[in-house]
Amino acid sequence: MEPTRNSHATLVDLLDRVLDKGLIIHADLIISLAGVPLIGVNLRTALAGMETMIQYGIMEEWDKCTRTWESEHRKARKDAATLGEEVLLEIPGSYHYSQGIYTAWRTGRIYLTDKRLILYNPSFEEVLFETPLQRIKGLTLEEDKCFTEKARENLCLLLDSGEVARLHAFDTPGLKEAIEQRLLMLGLTWQQIPSLSLQDEKTASFLREGEEVVCQGETWHLAISQSQGIAPSQNWKHGHLYLTNRRLCWWHDFERRLGFEVPLEHVVHSILVTNECKTAHTNNKKKVLDVIYQGGDGKEVASFSGDHLTSWERELNRIVSSEGLETNRHPERTDLQERIGSVPVLQTLSRRESQTCQGGSPIDFALLKDD
Amino acid sequence: MGLETEYIDDTKAGQGEKAKEEALYLYCVANGEEKTNLGAIGISGHEVYTIPYNDICAVVHHCLAHPYQSDNQEVVKTWVIEHQGVVDIAWKKWGTVLPSSFDTMIKGESRDNTEQNMKDWLKREHENLRNKLDKVRGRAEYGVQVFWDPNVIVQNLIETNPEIRELNEKIKLKPKGLAYMYRQKLENLIKREMETGADTCFRVFYSRIKKHTGDIRVEKTKKAEQSLQMILNLSCLVHKDKYAGLGEELSQINQMKGFSVRFTGPWPPYSFVGGS
Repeated sequence: MEPTRNSHATLVDLLDRVLDKGLIIHADLIISLAGVPLIGVNLRTALAGMETMIQYGIMEEWDKCTRTWESEHRKARKDAATLGEEVLLEIPGSYHYSQGIYTAWRTGRIYLTDKRLILYNPSFEEVLFETPLQRIKGLTLEEDKCFTEKARENLCLLLDSGEVARLHAFDTPGLKEAIEQRLLMLGLTWQQIPSLSLQDEKTASFLREGEEVVCQGETWHLAISQSQGIAPSQNWKHGHLYLTNRRLCWWHDFERRLGFEVPLEHVVHSILVTNECKTAHTNNKKKVLDVIYQGGDGKEVASFSGDHLTSWERELNRIVSSEGLETNRHPERTDLQERIGSVPVLQTLSRRESQTCQGGSPIDFALLKDD
Repeated sequence: MGLETEYIDDTKAGQGEKAKEEALYLYCVANGEEKTNLGAIGISGHEVYTIPYNDICAVVHHCLAHPYQSDNQEVVKTWVIEHQGVVDIAWKKWGTVLPSSFDTMIKGESRDNTEQNMKDWLKREHENLRNKLDKVRGRAEYGVQVFWDPNVIVQNLIETNPEIRELNEKIKLKPKGLAYMYRQKLENLIKREMETGADTCFRVFYSRIKKHTGDIRVEKTKKAEQSLQMILNLSCLVHKDKYAGLGEELSQINQMKGFSVRFTGPWPPYSFVGGS
């Protein structure tokens, strides 16, 4: 083999040598503010656009080739993911993944085949979500605020295991329609409007048999932590308050578990107080909802803060009073007021029709306008 | 060439503090002691001449203290080719040179002062420069780049690697769900084998090539044309006319299925004169 040094074909080799290598003067008198090598770099940038210019960096290099090679093979791999199945719809989409404290929308391509629904991420060659169509027991669209704060539609799939999978697609209603068409063709039946809130990932973990959520909403809770030898401290913690047909529960978002629960029959009353002693979670919200309940050591108070407190108070008192326990509780109120240390602002109890608490969807206070 | 506006115009270059400063642009240090003028062969037609000290000389042109810089790639290319043109002439004339990097300049307050500075530098660095000249005497630098075609290599792996072949056969018999899993496994296996293969090729080729060289530098691998991957990029210091052994070795590698070799040179020994 003979070496070549044709000025055209080996220009790159020449540039590599003349710009990056060669004798360098180590002296104070050398010209350059930034140093000779930097001048080389500057000139490099001028050359970066050259057709024949070679990219720098071993990894970039290797990556690029690997990527090209991979992408070729990935096509085949995608085919493998749907091997032998007819792809009815292919659409970019994402799946709401939640495990432990980690939740995220994971994106990829949604494939609806004649047998399955698949979300596949080609970059990581990963199947993010997959279900046979016959496992879909219900599907509905829900409106959700995505991270950009823009309302968008998610497709909720109720699976036969009771899990709810949330998918978002480039054209979510289109995806829903395509799935439904296919389910119809397969002769499968499904619920049009499944009661998904019961299957909410949070409530699913604490709801008991026959227990239903009546109201729910984002709420702060004044959690009292007690450790031995240290004075109990109080902290406002963020979570969600759930009123079920049996209990009042507060879900601590960070710890992902119930931070407070009390059976409804133990709830004495709830009052909206403007309380200076307890600083609400934000300075501008001075109102605190105190729920008085029968605890192990007598009456205890659980404090909540957040939006829609008036609605909460109303609902709680309605439930409590509809249980017919109201009358017994009144005499104790003064006592409790003393304990709390300020004059509570008592609201008139509104006896609303019982339709909201029996059947139907639970009330999400986030969707209500506060009075 | 239409580059009048691009090259460093000595009359306008260097404003402010640098306006008074002059410089010598160094093309190379040559193994010669004569004071001579090589003519207007330099960058932008500058007159190139030598500044000798003892048995060595600096091949330079005189200009203002301002580095050659441009955003225009054509201009830079032209400068680099001109720089190399001077080095080649000096290399031919004196047999052994230490080529300098582009834009290597020494400055001074006047032309005489600048020449004195260059002389001082030659004097101070004489021993070092002398050693380097001796090291590259009669030798030239050759570029060797080995590429492989990943498609051919993968195909070859599937045919020859028992583990991969077995897995590949298995996939055909698996139901589709499992086949997918197996295919992923196969891809991972191939990827791993490719990486190992590249490492092995590097080692094997490196030692085969090194035998034929006086000195060798491993360069970064770069983006290759079309579907090829560069797996080895070397600069080899070899006796100017004794590259036949290296050429033969490279021919053999070049004939291997899926491999190709790029062999360039002879270059002045740019890769072997840096450092101290």
